[in-house]
Amino acid sequence: MDKPTTLKSLESTPPLADLDRLCDMREGRMAGKIFWDAQIYEQELEKIFARCWLFVAHESQLPDPGDYVATTMGEDEVLVVRQKDRSIKVLINACPHRGNKVCFAEAGNARGFICNYHGWSFGTDGALRGMHESGIYEQSHFDKSRQGLREARVDRYKGLVFATFGADAPSLAEYLGPMAWYLDVLLDNDEGGTEFVGGCIRSTYECNWKIAAENFVGDILHAGWTHDSAARAMLGGAVAKVSDFPESWSVNWNGHGYEFTRDLVGNAAVLGESAINKYLHLQAPKAAERLGEFRSRMLGAVSSFTVFPNFSFLPGQNTVRVWQPRGPNRIELYTWVIVNKTAPQEVKDKWRRGAMMTFSPTGVFEMDDGENWEYCTRTSRGKVTRYQDLYVGLGMDTRIVDTELPGNVFKGQLNEANARAFYQRWKDLLQSASWAEVPDRNGTLS
Amino acid sequence: MNLPAEKPVSLDEARAAEAFLLREARLLDNERWDEWLSTLSEAIHYWMPGIENRRREDERGACSADHMALFDDGLRDLKRRVARFKQPSAWAENPPTRNVHLVSNIEVFAGDEEGEYRVHSCFVNVRSRGLDEQYQLAGRREDVLRREAEGLKLLARRIFIPNATLPCKNINTFL
Repeated sequence: MDKPTTLKSLESTPPLADLDRLCDMREGRMAGKIFWDAQIYEQELEKIFARCWLFVAHESQLPDPGDYVATTMGEDEVLVVRQKDRSIKVLINACPHRGNKVCFAEAGNARGFICNYHGWSFGTDGALRGMHESGIYEQSHFDKSRQGLREARVDRYKGLVFATFGADAPSLAEYLGPMAWYLDVLLDNDEGGTEFVGGCIRSTYECNWKIAAENFVGDILHAGWTHDSAARAMLGGAVAKVSDFPESWSVNWNGHGYEFTRDLVGNAAVLGESAINKYLHLQAPKAAERLGEFRSRMLGAVSSFTVFPNFSFLPGQNTVRVWQPRGPNRIELYTWVIVNKTAPQEVKDKWRRGAMMTFSPTGVFEMDDGENWEYCTRTSRGKVTRYQDLYVGLGMDTRIVDTELPGNVFKGQLNEANARAFYQRWKDLLQSASWAEVPDRNGTLS
Repeated sequence: MNLPAEKPVSLDEARAAEAFLLREARLLDNERWDEWLSTLSEAIHYWMPGIENRRREDERGACSADHMALFDDGLRDLKRRVARFKQPSAWAENPPTRNVHLVSNIEVFAGDEEGEYRVHSCFVNVRSRGLDEQYQLAGRREDVLRREAEGLKLLARRIFIPNATLPCKNINTFL
């Protein structure tokens, strides 16, 4: 087998000068310019999306060798391909001759990929196998082994496939750190593991990617207000009042964040499907055997999670999503539905339809989010507005030190600690020339 | 897949089916939600699949009944969607979204059962919000209309748009 060509690493460009003025998480303030500015966005593509571990697929989307899905890492188009030896490769979907896409479908099974332009033909491992008019290449002493599709680093965590272009990035395990313990609520509450329901719903928002990612990193505060109409439509009453919960937490690490309580079915309840509530009640004792009693009560609870930078999910609604950046004020939202593999088919169908009813472009909850996020972005078009302080100060100094919970733990879900940690990480990455320079803020955030 | 035979209907029947679709478009444009709901059969299945960008030789095709959808609704679901539109706290609907539903290419054939009609149509939906937001969706629909005690009702609708990525943030209307 020919060895595919390795990636050229990017030269780090100097950081922007005014980031400390635009984002000061010790003071709990930032400015809308970070949602609007084209230069900042270019820095993000380089220093965040070309550097961090990004979610690219769930293993269940690739059951057989040759199965592939197309997605993007930042704005870089990639193919996620199951290999004959069951490993997974992530290949840049661009021909090394003139750069044309080599695969135009979003998913399928292939024996290889052939560029439409000059007929360069690649194996599913990315190696260049042949070309149209191959004889003339020989005359130029062409070395096929140096012209494969470029590969990203790949690693997996319990069904989720991540990739990075960062040659010096820490391992995925190190990148996720103690947040993996919380990811297990979703990924490891059942011995059969998880799978994606078929299909992917994509939509377009005129908003900055950080607004959406931050909403899932720890903003349950908006739900009671923004989603009042949806809750009344689905439940016939208002959403649960989060400030009434006896206990809840915001936890973060390296910019990832989970906010949660332990009411088992709080998120799931808005789907209005008794079969799902029943399933969660039956599943909780099984989950307790695997994860302990504490986490078993988080299964479908009022909660949300973002893995920095742009991979988010809602337990209970079981929507999994990537906020794909498409410019400073535009995203494509890719959504999937995740279920336990061993769940009854009826329950899987209820989740497929329930996620659609609530968190999808036609979902009664998501409609109100979209409107908010677009205008949070758009007001920054104003030159003066762009530099005004935005308040991110809720829950300052609410850190819980005396806890067995992993990560940076904060009291209460109605808390902007996770948002601050998210933007701090964002700024740290933009100010660092390499992974080695990225400061470790864990234990010091407020 | 065997295409169902395109059995013709009388001019009066065709006209009634066309009138049904045009009135429905007007009800939606005027936010007459309850009247719109009353045009639906209790047994309605309202389906708009997600469109998948797959190769021709891929047997899965562009959509699958068991895959994610934009609508896969019965009457209870559609009533819930209407209930949200009607909430005073539906902040994103105030000021209202302004809609135009254009309906064309209407073809009416006899259905599989007595009293049913198989109706094909195309639509263009233009929505505007705020001062300058505008979204345009076009697609093709395959409906089954059924003559029930209170007149013609929509029993099944399948909605196919050409977009594999929705070019907008939501679909805050019915198509």
